[in-house]
Amino acid sequence: MIAIIPSATLLGVDGRPLAVEVHVSPGMPVFNLVGLPDAACRESRDRVRAALLSSRLPWPLKRVTVNLAPSGAVRKGGPGLDLPIAVGLLVAAGELPPEAVAGCAFLGELGLDGSLRRVPGVVPLVAALDTRAVVVPAACAGEAAVLGRHQVRVASTLAELVACLRGESPWPEPTRRPPGLPPARQPDLADVRGQAIGRAALEVCAAGGHHLLLSGPPGSGKTMLACRLPGLLPRLDADDALTTTRIHSAAGLPLPGDGLVEVPPFRAPHHTASAVSLIGGGTAWMRPGESSLAHGGVLFLDEMGEFPAPVLDALRQPLEEGVVRVARARASVTFPARFLLVGATNPCPCGQGGPRGACRCSDAARLRYTRRLSGPLLDRFDLRVVLVRPDVGGLMGGSPAEPTASVAARVAAARDLARERGFRCNAELPAHRLDELAPLDPAAAALLEHTLRAGWLSARGLHRVRRVARTLADLGGGAHQLGEEHVCLALSLRAEPAAAEAAA
Amino acid sequence: MRLPPEAYAVALATLPGMGPKRLLEILRRWPPAEGWRRVLAGGAGGEAGLAPVWRVTAAGVDVAQVWRAHLDAGVRADVLGGDGYPPLLAADHEAPALLFSRGDPAALPAGRRVAIVGTRRCTRYGRDVAWELGRDLAAAGVTVVSGLALGIDGAAHAGALEAGGGPPVAVVGSGLDVVYPRVHASLWSAVAGAGLLLSEAPLGARPEPWRFPVRNRVIAAVAEVVVVVESHAAGGSRHTVEAAEARGRTVMAVPGSVRSPASAYTNGLLADGCPPARDATDVMVALGLSTATRDPVRADLRPAPGPGEARVLEALGWEAASLEAVVTRTGMGAGEASVALTRLQRDGWVVSAGGWWERVAQVPLGECR
Repeated sequence: MIAIIPSATLLGVDGRPLAVEVHVSPGMPVFNLVGLPDAACRESRDRVRAALLSSRLPWPLKRVTVNLAPSGAVRKGGPGLDLPIAVGLLVAAGELPPEAVAGCAFLGELGLDGSLRRVPGVVPLVAALDTRAVVVPAACAGEAAVLGRHQVRVASTLAELVACLRGESPWPEPTRRPPGLPPARQPDLADVRGQAIGRAALEVCAAGGHHLLLSGPPGSGKTMLACRLPGLLPRLDADDALTTTRIHSAAGLPLPGDGLVEVPPFRAPHHTASAVSLIGGGTAWMRPGESSLAHGGVLFLDEMGEFPAPVLDALRQPLEEGVVRVARARASVTFPARFLLVGATNPCPCGQGGPRGACRCSDAARLRYTRRLSGPLLDRFDLRVVLVRPDVGGLMGGSPAEPTASVAARVAAARDLARERGFRCNAELPAHRLDELAPLDPAAAALLEHTLRAGWLSARGLHRVRRVARTLADLGGGAHQLGEEHVCLALSLRAEPAAAEAAA
Repeated sequence: MRLPPEAYAVALATLPGMGPKRLLEILRRWPPAEGWRRVLAGGAGGEAGLAPVWRVTAAGVDVAQVWRAHLDAGVRADVLGGDGYPPLLAADHEAPALLFSRGDPAALPAGRRVAIVGTRRCTRYGRDVAWELGRDLAAAGVTVVSGLALGIDGAAHAGALEAGGGPPVAVVGSGLDVVYPRVHASLWSAVAGAGLLLSEAPLGARPEPWRFPVRNRVIAAVAEVVVVVESHAAGGSRHTVEAAEARGRTVMAVPGSVRSPASAYTNGLLADGCPPARDATDVMVALGLSTATRDPVRADLRPAPGPGEARVLEALGWEAASLEAVVTRTGMGAGEASVALTRLQRDGWVVSAGGWWERVAQVPLGECR
């Protein structure tokens, strides 16, 4: 007797459909799992056996062969195949009628007591299935319903599932788990006192999609500002929300209210992160890295100078292309990774910072410290801002600063202008169209020309400054021509990294 | 070829662990050639336990070759008490036993001598002041003595070379063929061309840390007045100042902001009663020279700042400030302030480095960067 149960496994952020074929024949009682299962998958045998027995279902004392087809193509990973194997066994052993499972795919891990447990990646797994219905553990109901293409059936134990399949009891209603925690209060910009330039840079960063490097002594508010960036970004659009949801699901992160990720994510890996954790890969099914988890949102690297240089340089591809292509011997996977990079760094090893001569670091030490960020990476930052500790007056007195909501409104308006030009944000304006989309008024052109002649700006820097100036103009109401003020502020917001001057 | 006594003194100086004190000890006891023979025989350096090391090393040294290398490099070597040894230094109680020099030997005894010293980690202010002092003193015919280090030292010499008056004298801590710091290679050769380079170290000697405090005593011995421009609380200028005070030289200090760590030591000197050196005139007065030789007024060729720019310039003051500070102090918008700063930068009133803006003194420092 043979049963074929559709299911799927995960590779990167995509599901791969597969068929679980179970064959039960007379002979010595033996259980063979073939078709390139990985270790977690091979352990299925013991879980499935225990789950069946605890659910008072028979374990066939016959020769059982389970094949994961297509058998040669990819190594099948993860515990998500427990449920299709168990269901296949029951059908092949004659415990369930084949009609009961027709047109239905199964996903889920089994507990030894027969309970159904959630598995990571339900969103991409379900997306890969082309069956009419899909059965998932009750805990994954929300995730499985995100796509809305399938009839989602849930069960919380194997016994319950068998009863429903036999038609002995009705399918439980897939309850969308009520969003247990109210969305945590997003930190508000109104809490940030002083820091006029830091706030302006953050606004430009959000409006134009320009990567931001904050440099300043401890306590100058680098992290405080960075945490407030997601609040300024517009909610993810449908495409991005779905992509981000798939990535988060594949990585096994909890989804908000078990639904779509619509708030731009904020990821802040510690500086001991490895290149793989940032980029993705590592496990057999290629878990997405932090750069992908930040897709559509913010990747915040605090103490950027402390990250190993190869780890930082690995970010250059996603910064350039918006995707990471990870190639391993077994498979190569493309992860979406379009994020806004915010770096924070101390100005020098002692952290006190300030201009040259103001702290106890020698020129050589300062130079070594700034060199930890490679030139090509530094170049990706359109905005490089020096923060200083706010003075007491600014902290204690004064009116509360502008709240996130009103800044976010300006950001949204500026993003609309960029969209009218046909781009997601101004940071994506191609260099060859800058003359048309970001024309300079004569005074601004003259000033920029002088800056170029004096060698204070490179040709590549010029494009970046013009894009930032475009965003500044958009935030200021959308003047077609860029004025002196836009260009000068864009120049000021792109400070050269504090390299020590060579000689006296 | 018959070798002069200096050749043996130079060979002795190349031995490992041979500092000014040990060299002086050997040369006091024996003439150089005899000292070398003693070392070869293992009969010198006993107190420090260096005799066996020296004996082995010396056996591998070709005195004639070392001497020829110094001649070829245009480096003079003078033994204390020799004819060519500068009388100015010979009288010092810690005079170097052996002095290497390159350049014009007449530069040292000629004229009045002022040492301008300070930290390598100077601020823009310190560098500007050192440069101006160097320039104005040299223009008045004063010999500027310094150490060719990064920061204040280099700026003082760059200023002195700019004026082209009194010949500059540099006392360095490495061999005269080991340019340290490397970025000063052109300054180094310019000083050698216009004035005199001095060192106690033979060719090829690395700039080891212990050589610098030792070098500072030579600077103090050569100068009549020592001006400290900027120095941190625990800066190396302390050695120069102590050496100068031990010799009864006048020590002057350039006042700095009480908030600037780079002026901590100099302000302390002022509090202890050192005369302040606000400009070259102060130093000239300390030297007892007429100040009439100084050109008092220099035309400022920079375009006058507009009203907005003037406000920003005033708000900047003479300390480095971030854009944030400028915005707060002037109450201008960030855009407006940036325009003013960019214009000021274009016209040479301010410079920016690493997000910090600094006002620059009257004369833009073209080459002195």
